[in-house]
Amino acid sequence: MSIMKLSIGPQHPISAHFRFLLDVDGDVVLKLEPDVGYTHRGIEKLAEKRTYLQNLPVIERVNSYCDSAGTMLGYLEVIEELMGLEVPERAKYLRVIAAELNRIASHLYAASLFSVATGLETMLMWPINDRELILDLLERLTGQRITYTYQTIGGVRFDMPDGFKEEALKRLDYLEKRTEDYYKMLLWNHTFHMRTKKVGILRPSDAIKLGVVGPNLRASGVKVDVRKDEPYEVYDRFDFSIPTGKNGDSYDRLEVRFKEVGQSINILRQALKDIPKGPIKKWVPPIVPKGEAYTRVEAARGEFGYHLIGDGSMKPYRLKISPPSFRNLIALPHLCQNIPLADVPIIYISLDLIPMDVDR
Amino acid sequence: MIDKSAEELIVDSVKARFPEEVIEAKVQRKNRVSISVRNNRIYDVGLFLRDELEFDHIASVSGVDYIDMNEFEVIYYVWSINKKVLVGLRTKIPRDNPVLKSLVDVWEGVLYHEREVWEMFGIKFEGHPNLSLLLLPEDWDGPPPLRKDFVLPETHQERLEEKIKKLSSG
Repeated sequence: MSIMKLSIGPQHPISAHFRFLLDVDGDVVLKLEPDVGYTHRGIEKLAEKRTYLQNLPVIERVNSYCDSAGTMLGYLEVIEELMGLEVPERAKYLRVIAAELNRIASHLYAASLFSVATGLETMLMWPINDRELILDLLERLTGQRITYTYQTIGGVRFDMPDGFKEEALKRLDYLEKRTEDYYKMLLWNHTFHMRTKKVGILRPSDAIKLGVVGPNLRASGVKVDVRKDEPYEVYDRFDFSIPTGKNGDSYDRLEVRFKEVGQSINILRQALKDIPKGPIKKWVPPIVPKGEAYTRVEAARGEFGYHLIGDGSMKPYRLKISPPSFRNLIALPHLCQNIPLADVPIIYISLDLIPMDVDR
Repeated sequence: MIDKSAEELIVDSVKARFPEEVIEAKVQRKNRVSISVRNNRIYDVGLFLRDELEFDHIASVSGVDYIDMNEFEVIYYVWSINKKVLVGLRTKIPRDNPVLKSLVDVWEGVLYHEREVWEMFGIKFEGHPNLSLLLLPEDWDGPPPLRKDFVLPETHQERLEEKIKKLSSG
Protein backbone atom coordinates (compact mmCIF):
# COMPACT_ATOMS: atom_id res chain seq x y z
CA MET A 1 0.00 0.00 0.00
CA SER A 2 1.40 3.38 -0.94
CA ILE A 3 -0.26 6.57 0.17
CA MET A 4 -0.01 9.51 -2.15
CA LYS A 5 -0.45 13.10 -1.02
CA LEU A 6 -2.57 15.12 -3.38
CA SER A 7 -3.28 18.84 -3.45
CA ILE A 8 -6.31 20.11 -5.34
CA GLY A 9 -6.82 23.85 -5.73
CA PRO A 10 -6.63 26.64 -4.69
CA GLN A 11 -7.82 28.01 -8.04
CA HIS A 12 -11.43 26.94 -8.14
CA PRO A 13 -11.21 23.18 -7.49
CA ILE A 14 -14.99 23.01 -7.79
CA SER A 15 -16.19 26.44 -6.92
CA ALA A 16 -14.23 29.39 -5.55
CA HIS A 17 -10.84 29.50 -3.82
CA PHE A 18 -10.29 26.50 -1.69
CA ARG A 19 -7.67 23.78 -1.39
CA PHE A 20 -8.02 20.12 -0.53
CA LEU A 21 -5.06 18.21 0.83
CA LEU A 22 -5.80 14.56 0.28
CA ASP A 23 -4.22 11.29 1.29
CA VAL A 24 -5.15 8.84 -1.44
CA ASP A 25 -4.49 5.19 -1.90
CA GLY A 26 -5.25 4.48 -5.52
CA ASP A 27 -8.76 5.78 -5.97
CA VAL A 28 -9.66 5.82 -2.30
CA VAL A 29 -9.48 8.99 -0.25
CA LEU A 30 -8.21 8.13 3.22
CA LYS A 31 -8.11 11.60 4.68
CA LEU A 32 -9.03 15.09 3.58
CA GLU A 33 -7.68 18.26 5.11
CA PRO A 34 -9.35 21.47 3.92
CA ASP A 35 -7.02 24.40 3.46
CA VAL A 36 -8.97 27.64 3.68
CA GLY A 37 -8.09 31.30 4.00
CA TYR A 38 -7.52 32.25 0.38
CA THR A 39 -10.26 34.87 0.58
CA HIS A 40 -9.60 36.06 4.12
CA ARG A 41 -10.21 39.79 4.32
CA GLY A 42 -9.97 40.34 8.04
CA ILE A 43 -13.52 41.61 8.31
CA GLU A 44 -13.61 41.24 12.11
CA LYS A 45 -10.58 43.52 12.45
CA LEU A 46 -11.90 45.93 9.84
CA ALA A 47 -15.17 46.18 11.74
CA GLU A 48 -13.35 47.41 14.86
CA LYS A 49 -11.82 50.28 12.90
CA ARG A 50 -15.02 51.56 11.30
CA THR A 51 -18.25 53.01 12.63
CA TYR A 52 -21.39 50.89 12.78
CA LEU A 53 -22.78 52.59 9.70
CA GLN A 54 -19.56 52.32 7.73
CA ASN A 55 -19.55 48.63 8.54
CA LEU A 56 -22.79 47.92 6.71
CA PRO A 57 -21.28 47.31 3.27
CA VAL A 58 -18.28 45.53 4.80
CA ILE A 59 -20.31 43.01 6.77
CA GLU A 60 -22.46 42.31 3.74
CA ARG A 61 -19.38 41.07 1.93
CA VAL A 62 -18.91 38.19 4.35
CA ASN A 63 -21.15 36.33 1.97
CA SER A 64 -21.76 38.76 -0.81
CA TYR A 65 -22.53 36.95 -4.00
CA CYS A 66 -25.17 34.64 -2.62
CA ASP A 67 -26.86 35.90 0.46
CA SER A 68 -26.02 39.46 1.41
CA ALA A 69 -29.51 40.27 2.70
CA GLY A 70 -29.50 37.37 5.15
CA THR A 71 -25.97 38.17 6.29
CA MET A 72 -26.80 41.79 6.92
CA LEU A 73 -29.93 41.00 8.89
CA GLY A 74 -27.92 39.37 11.67
CA TYR A 75 -25.63 42.36 12.04
CA LEU A 76 -28.60 44.71 12.30
CA GLU A 77 -30.35 42.41 14.76
CA VAL A 78 -27.39 42.46 17.13
CA ILE A 79 -27.02 46.26 16.97
CA GLU A 80 -30.72 46.80 17.48
CA GLU A 81 -30.76 44.43 20.43
CA LEU A 82 -28.03 46.43 22.15
CA MET A 83 -29.78 49.71 21.35
CA GLY A 84 -33.14 48.33 22.41
CA LEU A 85 -34.52 49.61 19.14
CA GLU A 86 -37.87 48.67 17.67
CA VAL A 87 -37.98 48.90 13.88
CA PRO A 88 -41.15 50.12 12.09
CA GLU A 89 -43.51 47.32 11.06
CA ARG A 90 -43.29 47.93 7.35
CA ALA A 91 -39.49 47.87 7.49
CA LYS A 92 -39.59 44.47 9.19
CA TYR A 93 -41.69 43.06 6.39
CA LEU A 94 -39.46 44.58 3.73
CA ARG A 95 -36.41 43.09 5.45
CA VAL A 96 -38.00 39.67 5.45
CA ILE A 97 -38.97 40.02 1.79
CA ALA A 98 -35.40 40.88 0.80
CA ALA A 99 -33.96 38.04 2.90
CA GLU A 100 -36.35 35.41 1.57
CA LEU A 101 -35.86 36.45 -2.05
CA ASN A 102 -32.16 36.16 -1.40
CA ARG A 103 -32.60 32.70 0.08
CA ILE A 104 -34.35 31.54 -3.09
CA ALA A 105 -31.59 33.00 -5.24
CA SER A 106 -28.95 31.33 -3.11
CA HIS A 107 -30.58 27.90 -3.20
CA LEU A 108 -31.04 28.08 -6.96
CA TYR A 109 -27.39 28.93 -7.30
CA ALA A 110 -26.48 25.98 -5.11
CA ALA A 111 -28.61 23.69 -7.27
CA SER A 112 -26.91 24.81 -10.44
CA LEU A 113 -23.44 24.24 -8.99
CA PHE A 114 -24.55 20.83 -7.79
CA SER A 115 -25.62 19.89 -11.30
CA VAL A 116 -22.23 20.86 -12.67
CA ALA A 117 -20.50 18.60 -10.17
CA THR A 118 -22.68 15.70 -11.26
CA GLY A 119 -22.22 16.46 -14.95
CA LEU A 120 -25.83 17.37 -15.71
CA GLU A 121 -25.16 20.68 -17.33
CA THR A 122 -28.63 21.54 -18.53
CA MET A 123 -29.48 22.10 -14.92
CA LEU A 124 -26.57 24.55 -14.71
CA MET A 125 -28.46 26.96 -16.92
CA TRP A 126 -32.05 26.55 -15.75
CA PRO A 127 -31.70 27.59 -12.10
CA ILE A 128 -29.19 30.31 -12.99
CA ASN A 129 -31.69 31.67 -15.46
CA ASP A 130 -34.51 31.60 -12.94
CA ARG A 131 -32.28 33.10 -10.29
CA GLU A 132 -31.95 36.08 -12.59
CA LEU A 133 -35.70 36.68 -12.27
CA ILE A 134 -35.28 36.91 -8.51
CA LEU A 135 -32.20 39.12 -8.76
CA ASP A 136 -34.14 41.36 -11.10
CA LEU A 137 -36.87 41.67 -8.47
CA LEU A 138 -34.26 42.49 -5.86
CA GLU A 139 -32.81 45.10 -8.17
CA ARG A 140 -36.19 46.78 -8.43
CA LEU A 141 -36.50 46.75 -4.66
CA THR A 142 -32.98 47.71 -3.69
CA GLY A 143 -31.23 49.08 -6.75
CA GLN A 144 -28.59 46.34 -6.83
CA ARG A 145 -28.38 42.79 -8.06
CA ILE A 146 -25.96 41.27 -5.55
CA THR A 147 -24.81 43.57 -2.76
CA TYR A 148 -27.77 45.60 -1.64
CA THR A 149 -26.91 47.51 1.56
CA TYR A 150 -30.68 47.76 1.60
CA GLN A 151 -31.41 47.07 5.21
CA THR A 152 -29.92 49.67 7.49
CA ILE A 153 -29.89 50.46 11.20
CA GLY A 154 -33.45 51.39 12.11
CA GLY A 155 -35.18 50.11 9.00
CA VAL A 156 -34.64 49.88 5.27
CA ARG A 157 -33.48 52.47 2.79
CA PHE A 158 -36.18 52.37 0.12
CA ASP A 159 -39.84 51.53 -0.04
CA MET A 160 -41.35 49.06 -2.50
CA PRO A 161 -41.68 50.55 -5.98
CA ASP A 162 -45.06 50.67 -7.72
CA GLY A 163 -46.16 47.40 -9.24
CA PHE A 164 -43.54 45.40 -7.30
CA LYS A 165 -46.08 43.31 -5.46
CA GLU A 166 -47.92 42.16 -8.59
CA GLU A 167 -44.72 41.43 -10.44
CA ALA A 168 -43.28 39.51 -7.49
CA LEU A 169 -46.39 37.35 -7.12
CA LYS A 170 -46.36 36.59 -10.84
CA ARG A 171 -42.75 35.47 -10.70
CA LEU A 172 -43.28 33.39 -7.59
CA ASP A 173 -46.12 31.56 -9.35
CA TYR A 174 -43.83 30.88 -12.27
CA LEU A 175 -41.08 29.66 -9.96
CA GLU A 176 -43.43 27.32 -8.15
CA LYS A 177 -44.45 25.71 -11.42
CA ARG A 178 -40.86 25.65 -12.54
CA THR A 179 -39.85 23.58 -9.51
CA GLU A 180 -41.70 20.68 -11.10
CA ASP A 181 -39.32 20.87 -14.04
CA TYR A 182 -36.39 20.75 -11.66
CA TYR A 183 -37.71 17.58 -10.13
CA LYS A 184 -38.16 15.98 -13.54
CA MET A 185 -34.79 17.14 -14.78
CA LEU A 186 -32.65 16.57 -11.72
CA LEU A 187 -34.18 15.08 -8.61
CA TRP A 188 -36.02 12.22 -10.30
CA ASN A 189 -33.18 11.61 -12.72
CA HIS A 190 -31.72 8.13 -12.45
CA THR A 191 -28.16 9.28 -13.19
CA PHE A 192 -28.42 11.85 -10.45
CA HIS A 193 -29.68 9.26 -7.99
CA MET A 194 -26.74 7.00 -8.77
CA ARG A 195 -24.28 9.82 -8.16
CA THR A 196 -25.77 11.28 -5.00
CA LYS A 197 -27.82 8.73 -3.07
CA LYS A 198 -25.93 7.15 -0.19
CA VAL A 199 -22.99 9.45 -0.89
CA GLY A 200 -21.70 11.37 2.10
CA ILE A 201 -24.17 10.20 4.70
CA LEU A 202 -24.13 12.50 7.73
CA ARG A 203 -25.82 10.88 10.70
CA PRO A 204 -27.94 13.19 12.87
CA SER A 205 -25.88 12.53 16.00
CA ASP A 206 -22.67 13.39 14.15
CA ALA A 207 -24.23 16.46 12.60
CA ILE A 208 -25.15 17.82 16.02
CA LYS A 209 -21.84 16.85 17.58
CA LEU A 210 -19.86 18.61 14.85
CA GLY A 211 -22.05 21.70 15.03
CA VAL A 212 -23.34 21.54 11.46
CA VAL A 213 -26.08 24.08 10.71
CA GLY A 214 -28.75 25.02 8.23
CA PRO A 215 -30.08 22.86 5.40
CA ASN A 216 -27.22 20.39 5.96
CA LEU A 217 -28.37 19.74 9.51
CA ARG A 218 -32.01 19.53 8.48
CA ALA A 219 -31.17 17.09 5.71
CA SER A 220 -29.93 14.74 8.42
CA GLY A 221 -33.38 14.86 10.00
CA VAL A 222 -32.78 17.37 12.79
CA LYS A 223 -35.52 19.95 12.88
CA VAL A 224 -33.66 23.14 13.77
CA ASP A 225 -34.44 26.51 12.28
CA VAL A 226 -33.76 29.84 13.96
CA ARG A 227 -36.83 31.29 12.28
CA LYS A 228 -38.93 28.93 14.39
CA ASP A 229 -36.77 28.54 17.51
CA GLU A 230 -36.15 32.22 18.12
CA PRO A 231 -38.36 34.14 15.69
CA TYR A 232 -36.79 37.44 14.72
CA GLU A 233 -38.33 40.28 12.71
CA VAL A 234 -41.84 39.02 11.87
CA TYR A 235 -41.21 35.32 11.22
CA ASP A 236 -43.55 34.31 14.04
CA ARG A 237 -46.50 35.62 12.03
CA PHE A 238 -46.03 33.38 9.02
CA ASP A 239 -47.29 29.90 8.53
CA PHE A 240 -44.50 27.73 7.15
CA SER A 241 -42.91 24.38 7.82
CA ILE A 242 -39.33 23.19 8.21
CA PRO A 243 -38.46 20.60 5.56
CA THR A 244 -36.17 17.82 6.74
CA GLY A 245 -34.45 14.90 5.04
CA LYS A 246 -34.42 11.24 6.00
CA ASN A 247 -31.02 9.81 5.12
CA GLY A 248 -28.70 12.77 5.39
CA ASP A 249 -26.95 11.98 2.11
CA SER A 250 -25.99 14.38 -0.66
CA TYR A 251 -29.31 13.88 -2.39
CA ASP A 252 -31.25 14.88 0.71
CA ARG A 253 -29.16 17.97 1.14
CA LEU A 254 -30.22 19.20 -2.29
CA GLU A 255 -33.82 18.13 -1.92
CA VAL A 256 -34.16 20.02 1.37
CA ARG A 257 -32.96 23.15 -0.41
CA PHE A 258 -35.60 22.74 -3.10
CA LYS A 259 -38.28 22.27 -0.47
CA GLU A 260 -37.03 25.36 1.31
CA VAL A 261 -37.49 27.36 -1.87
CA GLY A 262 -41.14 26.27 -1.74
CA GLN A 263 -41.42 27.45 1.88
CA SER A 264 -39.77 30.77 1.02
CA ILE A 265 -42.32 31.30 -1.73
CA ASN A 266 -44.96 30.55 0.88
CA ILE A 267 -43.53 33.13 3.31
CA LEU A 268 -43.14 35.74 0.58
CA ARG A 269 -46.77 35.41 -0.48
CA GLN A 270 -47.92 35.96 3.09
CA ALA A 271 -45.52 38.84 3.61
CA LEU A 272 -46.59 40.58 0.40
CA LYS A 273 -50.22 40.16 1.38
CA ASP A 274 -49.93 41.31 4.99
CA ILE A 275 -47.44 44.13 4.64
CA PRO A 276 -48.80 47.16 6.52
CA LYS A 277 -48.51 50.79 5.50
CA GLY A 278 -46.32 53.14 7.44
CA PRO A 279 -42.82 54.53 7.82
CA ILE A 280 -39.86 52.44 6.67
CA LYS A 281 -37.07 53.94 8.75
CA LYS A 282 -36.49 55.33 12.17
CA TRP A 283 -33.80 57.89 12.75
CA VAL A 284 -31.25 56.59 15.21
CA PRO A 285 -28.12 58.08 16.75
CA PRO A 286 -24.99 56.39 15.40
CA ILE A 287 -23.85 55.37 18.89
CA VAL A 288 -24.41 51.93 20.37
CA PRO A 289 -24.50 51.74 24.19
CA LYS A 290 -22.13 49.71 26.31
CA GLY A 291 -23.03 46.06 26.48
CA GLU A 292 -22.88 42.67 24.93
CA ALA A 293 -25.26 40.66 22.79
CA TYR A 294 -25.33 37.51 20.70
CA THR A 295 -27.95 37.08 18.03
CA ARG A 296 -28.65 34.36 15.54
CA VAL A 297 -30.40 34.53 12.20
CA GLU A 298 -31.19 31.86 9.66
CA ALA A 299 -29.44 32.84 6.45
CA ALA A 300 -29.64 30.74 3.30
CA ARG A 301 -26.69 28.51 4.25
CA GLY A 302 -27.66 28.22 7.87
CA GLU A 303 -27.36 29.99 11.13
CA PHE A 304 -25.35 33.20 11.32
CA GLY A 305 -24.13 34.14 14.77
CA TYR A 306 -23.11 37.68 15.66
CA HIS A 307 -21.44 38.50 18.93
CA LEU A 308 -21.08 42.22 19.52
CA ILE A 309 -19.41 44.06 22.38
CA GLY A 310 -20.14 47.76 22.38
CA ASP A 311 -18.15 50.24 24.45
CA GLY A 312 -20.49 53.19 24.10
CA SER A 313 -18.71 54.70 21.12
CA MET A 314 -19.44 54.78 17.40
CA LYS A 315 -17.27 51.73 16.73
CA PRO A 316 -17.70 48.14 17.89
CA TYR A 317 -15.19 47.01 20.52
CA ARG A 318 -15.41 43.48 19.19
CA LEU A 319 -17.57 41.91 16.53
CA LYS A 320 -17.34 38.16 16.19
CA ILE A 321 -19.02 36.65 13.17
CA SER A 322 -19.79 32.96 13.19
CA PRO A 323 -20.84 32.16 9.63
CA PRO A 324 -22.65 28.97 8.59
CA SER A 325 -20.07 27.75 6.08
CA PHE A 326 -17.31 27.93 8.70
CA ARG A 327 -19.36 25.69 10.92
CA ASN A 328 -20.26 23.31 8.10
CA LEU A 329 -16.62 23.06 7.03
CA ILE A 330 -15.85 20.50 9.72
CA ALA A 331 -18.30 18.07 8.10
CA LEU A 332 -16.14 17.88 4.98
CA PRO A 333 -13.14 15.99 6.47
CA HIS A 334 -15.59 13.96 8.53
CA LEU A 335 -17.44 12.74 5.43
CA CYS A 336 -14.38 12.32 3.22
CA GLN A 337 -12.89 9.23 4.83
CA ASN A 338 -12.52 6.03 2.84
CA ILE A 339 -14.57 7.20 -0.10
CA PRO A 340 -13.84 7.16 -3.85
CA LEU A 341 -12.05 10.26 -5.08
CA ALA A 342 -14.91 11.00 -7.49
CA ASP A 343 -17.27 11.54 -4.55
CA VAL A 344 -15.26 14.41 -3.09
CA PRO A 345 -16.71 17.10 -5.41
CA ILE A 346 -20.22 15.79 -4.82
CA ILE A 347 -19.86 15.97 -1.05
CA TYR A 348 -18.16 19.35 -1.18
CA ILE A 349 -20.86 20.89 -3.35
CA SER A 350 -23.69 19.24 -1.42
CA LEU A 351 -22.54 21.00 1.76
CA ASP A 352 -22.87 24.29 -0.15
CA LEU A 353 -19.69 25.74 1.34
CA ILE A 354 -18.79 29.23 0.24
CA PRO A 355 -15.10 29.96 0.86
CA MET A 356 -15.77 33.68 1.30
CA ASP A 357 -18.15 32.81 4.06
CA VAL A 358 -15.62 30.47 5.69
CA ASP A 359 -12.79 32.97 5.57
CA ARG A 360 -14.46 36.30 6.32
CA MET B 1 -44.49 28.01 44.25
CA ILE B 2 -43.71 29.94 41.13
CA ASP B 3 -42.55 27.91 38.14
CA LYS B 4 -39.07 28.77 37.06
CA SER B 5 -38.14 29.23 33.45
CA ALA B 6 -35.74 26.85 31.70
CA GLU B 7 -33.04 29.53 31.81
CA GLU B 8 -33.32 29.99 35.59
CA LEU B 9 -33.24 26.23 36.17
CA ILE B 10 -30.01 26.00 34.20
CA VAL B 11 -28.44 28.78 36.23
CA ASP B 12 -29.54 27.13 39.48
CA SER B 13 -28.22 23.69 38.62
CA VAL B 14 -24.85 25.04 37.49
CA LYS B 15 -24.52 27.08 40.67
CA ALA B 16 -25.49 24.10 42.81
CA ARG B 17 -23.01 21.76 41.12
CA PHE B 18 -20.07 24.19 40.97
CA PRO B 19 -20.39 26.62 43.89
CA GLU B 20 -16.66 27.41 43.95
CA GLU B 21 -15.81 27.47 40.27
CA VAL B 22 -18.65 29.58 38.94
CA ILE B 23 -17.92 33.27 39.38
CA GLU B 24 -21.20 34.47 37.95
CA ALA B 25 -24.20 32.79 36.34
CA LYS B 26 -27.15 34.79 35.13
CA VAL B 27 -30.05 34.91 32.70
CA GLN B 28 -29.35 37.62 30.16
CA ARG B 29 -32.71 37.49 28.42
CA LYS B 30 -35.06 34.87 27.02
CA ASN B 31 -33.00 32.02 25.49
CA ARG B 32 -29.68 33.47 26.74
CA VAL B 33 -27.66 32.34 29.75
CA SER B 34 -24.20 33.55 30.68
CA ILE B 35 -21.91 31.47 32.90
CA SER B 36 -18.56 32.83 33.96
CA VAL B 37 -16.11 30.30 35.40
CA ARG B 38 -12.53 30.11 36.66
CA ASN B 39 -10.21 29.24 33.83
CA ASN B 40 -8.79 26.05 35.40
CA ARG B 41 -12.23 24.40 35.66
CA ILE B 42 -13.81 25.28 32.32
CA TYR B 43 -13.39 21.71 31.09
CA ASP B 44 -15.46 20.24 33.93
CA VAL B 45 -18.19 22.82 33.60
CA GLY B 46 -18.25 22.13 29.85
CA LEU B 47 -18.67 18.40 30.45
CA PHE B 48 -21.45 19.07 32.93
CA LEU B 49 -23.26 21.33 30.46
CA ARG B 50 -22.99 18.74 27.72
CA ASP B 51 -23.91 15.62 29.69
CA GLU B 52 -26.41 16.86 32.25
CA LEU B 53 -27.97 19.90 30.65
CA GLU B 54 -28.10 18.84 26.97
CA PHE B 55 -25.98 21.64 25.55
CA ASP B 56 -24.96 19.84 22.40
CA HIS B 57 -24.70 22.20 19.46
CA ILE B 58 -21.64 24.45 19.40
CA ALA B 59 -22.37 27.87 17.93
CA SER B 60 -19.24 29.95 18.23
CA VAL B 61 -16.03 30.57 20.14
CA SER B 62 -15.16 34.22 20.60
CA GLY B 63 -11.98 35.68 21.92
CA VAL B 64 -11.97 39.19 23.34
CA ASP B 65 -8.90 41.25 24.18
CA TYR B 66 -9.46 43.42 27.27
CA ILE B 67 -6.13 45.18 27.06
CA ASP B 68 -6.91 47.67 29.84
CA MET B 69 -7.45 44.88 32.33
CA ASN B 70 -4.55 42.88 30.89
CA GLU B 71 -6.62 39.78 30.20
CA PHE B 72 -8.31 37.81 27.46
CA GLU B 73 -11.81 36.47 27.60
CA VAL B 74 -12.78 33.29 25.76
CA ILE B 75 -16.47 32.62 25.28
CA TYR B 76 -17.94 29.32 24.11
CA TYR B 77 -21.45 29.76 22.79
CA VAL B 78 -23.39 26.51 22.87
CA TRP B 79 -26.99 25.98 21.85
CA SER B 80 -29.25 23.35 23.32
CA ILE B 81 -31.51 21.93 20.63
CA ASN B 82 -34.02 20.52 23.12
CA LYS B 83 -34.14 23.40 25.58
CA LYS B 84 -33.73 26.15 23.01
CA VAL B 85 -31.26 28.06 25.17
CA LEU B 86 -27.91 29.51 24.18
CA VAL B 87 -25.28 29.43 26.90
CA GLY B 88 -22.22 31.65 26.88
CA LEU B 89 -19.56 29.77 28.84
CA ARG B 90 -16.90 32.36 29.52
CA THR B 91 -13.60 32.52 31.26
CA LYS B 92 -10.81 35.04 31.68
CA ILE B 93 -7.14 34.28 31.32
CA PRO B 94 -4.11 36.51 31.95
CA ARG B 95 -2.68 38.25 28.93
CA ASP B 96 0.94 37.34 29.73
CA ASN B 97 0.28 33.62 29.88
CA PRO B 98 -2.70 32.84 27.64
CA VAL B 99 -3.17 29.10 28.05
CA LEU B 100 -6.49 27.29 28.31
CA LYS B 101 -7.49 23.64 28.29
CA SER B 102 -9.02 22.75 24.94
CA LEU B 103 -12.65 21.66 24.87
CA VAL B 104 -12.28 19.51 21.75
CA ASP B 105 -13.03 16.41 23.84
CA VAL B 106 -16.24 17.98 25.05
CA TRP B 107 -17.58 19.42 21.83
CA GLU B 108 -15.85 18.10 18.73
CA GLY B 109 -17.17 21.03 16.73
CA VAL B 110 -14.85 23.55 18.40
CA LEU B 111 -11.91 22.17 16.41
CA TYR B 112 -11.72 25.00 13.87
CA HIS B 113 -13.16 27.62 16.20
CA GLU B 114 -10.30 27.13 18.66
CA ARG B 115 -7.76 27.14 15.85
CA GLU B 116 -9.12 30.49 14.76
CA VAL B 117 -8.95 31.94 18.27
CA TRP B 118 -5.39 30.65 18.55
CA GLU B 119 -4.19 32.35 15.38
CA MET B 120 -6.14 35.57 15.93
CA PHE B 121 -5.37 36.06 19.65
CA GLY B 122 -2.42 33.79 20.37
CA ILE B 123 -4.33 31.86 23.02
CA LYS B 124 -2.90 28.35 23.36
CA PHE B 125 -5.38 25.52 23.74
CA GLU B 126 -3.79 22.65 25.61
CA GLY B 127 -4.74 19.29 24.17
CA HIS B 128 -5.86 20.63 20.81
CA PRO B 129 -4.72 18.15 18.13
CA ASN B 130 -3.70 20.64 15.46
CA LEU B 131 -2.95 24.26 16.30
CA SER B 132 -1.85 25.57 12.92
CA LEU B 133 -2.75 28.59 10.84
CA LEU B 134 -6.24 28.33 9.40
CA LEU B 135 -7.29 31.61 7.84
CA LEU B 136 -4.06 33.60 7.89
CA PRO B 137 -1.51 33.20 5.08
CA GLU B 138 0.83 30.27 5.54
CA ASP B 139 3.89 32.56 5.69
CA TRP B 140 2.36 34.79 8.37
CA ASP B 141 4.90 35.65 11.07
CA GLY B 142 3.40 38.79 12.61
CA PRO B 143 1.69 39.06 15.97
CA PRO B 144 -1.88 37.76 16.38
CA PRO B 145 -3.93 40.30 14.42
CA LEU B 146 -7.07 40.58 16.50
CA ARG B 147 -5.17 41.70 19.61
CA LYS B 148 -5.80 45.32 20.38
CA ASP B 149 -2.10 46.24 20.34
CA PHE B 150 -1.69 44.96 16.79
CA VAL B 151 -0.52 47.87 14.65
CA LEU B 152 -2.32 48.03 11.35
CA PRO B 153 -0.14 48.56 8.33
CA GLU B 154 -0.50 52.11 7.07
CA THR B 155 -3.38 52.62 4.75
CA HIS B 156 -3.25 53.94 1.23
CA GLN B 157 -4.87 57.14 2.43
CA GLU B 158 -2.13 57.78 4.98
CA ARG B 159 0.54 56.97 2.47
CA LEU B 160 -1.07 59.30 -0.03
CA GLU B 161 -1.31 62.14 2.48
CA GLU B 162 2.33 61.72 3.44
CA LYS B 163 3.35 61.86 -0.19
CA ILE B 164 1.36 65.04 -0.73
CA LYS B 165 2.93 66.58 2.37
CA LYS B 166 6.40 65.74 1.15
CA LEU B 167 5.71 67.10 -2.32
CA SER B 168 4.23 70.34 -1.05
CA SER B 169 7.03 70.96 1.48
CA GLY B 170 9.93 70.06 -0.76
